[in-house]
Amino acid sequence: MNIDLSIFTNYAPQLFLGFWMTIKIVVGAIILSLPFGLVLALGRRSRLKLVRVLTTSFIEIFRNTPFIIQVFMFFYVLPFYGLHLPAAYVGIVALAAFGSAYFAEVIRGGINAVAKGQLESARATGMSDWKAMRFVILPQTLPIILPAMTNQTLSLVKESAVLSTITVSELTMAAIKVQGETFRPFEAFIMIALMYWALNETIATIMRRLERKVSSRSNSGRASGIARADPAVKDD
Amino acid sequence: MAVATETKNNFLEMTGIRKSFANMTALQDVSLSVPKGEVVCIIGPSGCGKSTLLRTANWLTPADAGEVRLDGELVGAMPDMRSTSVQARSLNAARARIGMVFQQFNVWPHMNVLENVVCPQMVVAKRGRDIAEKKALAALAQVGLEDKKKDWPENLSGGQKQRLAIARVLAMDPVLMLLDEPTSALDPELVSGVLAVLKQLAEKGMTMIIVTHELGFARSVADRVVFMEGGQIIEEGSPNVILRSPSTKRLQFFLEKLNITAFKPKSES
Amino acid sequence: MKFDLTYTLDALPRLLDGSLVTLKLALLGFTFSVVLATIVTVARTVSKSQIFGAIIAVYISFIRGTPILVQIFLVYYVLPIIGLNIGPITAGIVALTLNSAAFIIEILRGGLASVSKGQFEAARSLGLSGFALWVKVILPQTFMASIPPLVNEFTQLLKATALLSTITVVELMRVSQQIYSNNYHPIEVLTGAFVMYFLMCFAVSRSASWLEATFEVKRA
Repeated sequence: MNIDLSIFTNYAPQLFLGFWMTIKIVVGAIILSLPFGLVLALGRRSRLKLVRVLTTSFIEIFRNTPFIIQVFMFFYVLPFYGLHLPAAYVGIVALAAFGSAYFAEVIRGGINAVAKGQLESARATGMSDWKAMRFVILPQTLPIILPAMTNQTLSLVKESAVLSTITVSELTMAAIKVQGETFRPFEAFIMIALMYWALNETIATIMRRLERKVSSRSNSGRASGIARADPAVKDD
Repeated sequence: MAVATETKNNFLEMTGIRKSFANMTALQDVSLSVPKGEVVCIIGPSGCGKSTLLRTANWLTPADAGEVRLDGELVGAMPDMRSTSVQARSLNAARARIGMVFQQFNVWPHMNVLENVVCPQMVVAKRGRDIAEKKALAALAQVGLEDKKKDWPENLSGGQKQRLAIARVLAMDPVLMLLDEPTSALDPELVSGVLAVLKQLAEKGMTMIIVTHELGFARSVADRVVFMEGGQIIEEGSPNVILRSPSTKRLQFFLEKLNITAFKPKSES
Repeated sequence: MKFDLTYTLDALPRLLDGSLVTLKLALLGFTFSVVLATIVTVARTVSKSQIFGAIIAVYISFIRGTPILVQIFLVYYVLPIIGLNIGPITAGIVALTLNSAAFIIEILRGGLASVSKGQFEAARSLGLSGFALWVKVILPQTFMASIPPLVNEFTQLLKATALLSTITVVELMRVSQQIYSNNYHPIEVLTGAFVMYFLMCFAVSRSASWLEATFEVKRA
């Protein structure tokens, strides 16, 4: 098997356009899914049962079905309700819905990891549940959840490839087109595989640096609500 | 033994409080009235319901039945008063006037010492930063932490953390303070610093309810000692009377057991 | 136009057949990838070869860093070029296996780390070595410790089978596409498939605690 290197040079512009589209879609989906994921996470601990049931169902449904069928559902259901969006926007909406279910679980895990006494002490000063979340719990949650958030971001980049099935012209779609024109599938797909790989490695490196910064700034003292034995030698 | 609380102007009024968890009854029909300026110490064996009673006083643990009033105004009552947003707001307003200090300090690790004291003032009491900082510094000075204002909680000793928690409460100008075993999680040599702060507050006339194991402390600051067991108040009265000559067998037994352990090394406490 | 449940019900028998294919694909892929991952894990631990370790590390990084859809295309389109004429089903299973094995190697590494060094030493002191040491002592403990993440990986694999529809494997997703391209009622048909995927994945992910309890009892 010989590799035709000219494909890389001839079709580079097309592939980079697709690459750029992938980045735009993922960024759009993250911007939508972070706040929505937070709402879902808070909804799961609402005191209203209806809210709990609705948010839990949303999360479980999107976590327990293949992304590709979610994409097709959005693709057909949105026009059914009179919402005729270009494929790329349908893709962003689908990816955001999928992402928010996962982000919600990550945020919920982070909230649960903050010691119970932290919420109690905030409520005891007279803060409402929301204010206690906003000022006391969520700031402590952030450094805990960053690694998991990174993983979810990487998974959104990977899942975005599925949007090629509804003709969104992102990176995988670009490779499918190149493959169709050149009949050189290996070159086309290995090229984009390397591009996805590089993108994810870059995101992972940036996030790891951010994690280090955040954890050093938060003074890693977030477990202090739990009975942490103090070194007895400290003068009082 | 009966202190005639009825004749005084009752400030905090807890009546008919019942509470059970899973299948354990924590409180069975407990009533407690505290007049303004009184320091009440609640003692009793672990699991007697004393912490639960304290936590129902600001409705942090909602009771199954009964009601709590502060200065005549409803703090909490069953049926659950969190059910509407108006009631939730009035509960939060009541809590802002009731300071609570926890066994595990619960200082906020993501804020420095000063911010810990400033935050609830700005968020709950809606004070401007200038006033909040001024009040915070005064409160920190009162507990002897003014030189630690830029430190992070994780660099404080347990005793310092607890004094920070007290300062956070003081800056809110509480009319009542609830303290849940404030020295139980401290190493023995750090206890005295916290107790000194509390004693000072008592002398200034702060109304306080303190759940404690420190009988010596209770004797020196309390106007009234309440002994609980099995989710009920068994005996109450002035410390000099009931700690010296308890009238019930159960308090006698409790004090005897405590005295025996008191001769053991201090680390047991 | 409104949602007409009769189209969903009409599609049900074929969707059920598709679900069976989906389950078979997932089970085959999972079995192969567990075997492959186990072999790699043991080989990597025993040989201590740095080159082998590096190759495995790059393989895992590549699999984790690229979309599984692209991996499926690579296997499907590339293997025939190098002379391996395999059908879409085989290509699909190979792709799923290569993907899932990378994740399972990582899971087993975690499980293996939870087996204490003392277990190796105790077994060796009893004269167990090589094959017996691994099969009788180390691997059972490794898998016990790995049940929850392995179950999670199985649901991931179950969901990934739907991507094989893009290389014409006739599983649940493809079946539903075939049905609605005939009756033009995609929403009704997809809803049926959607519910089936949900029931399968939800049942599997809920089984983790049950599996743990079962094996716990057996071990006692």
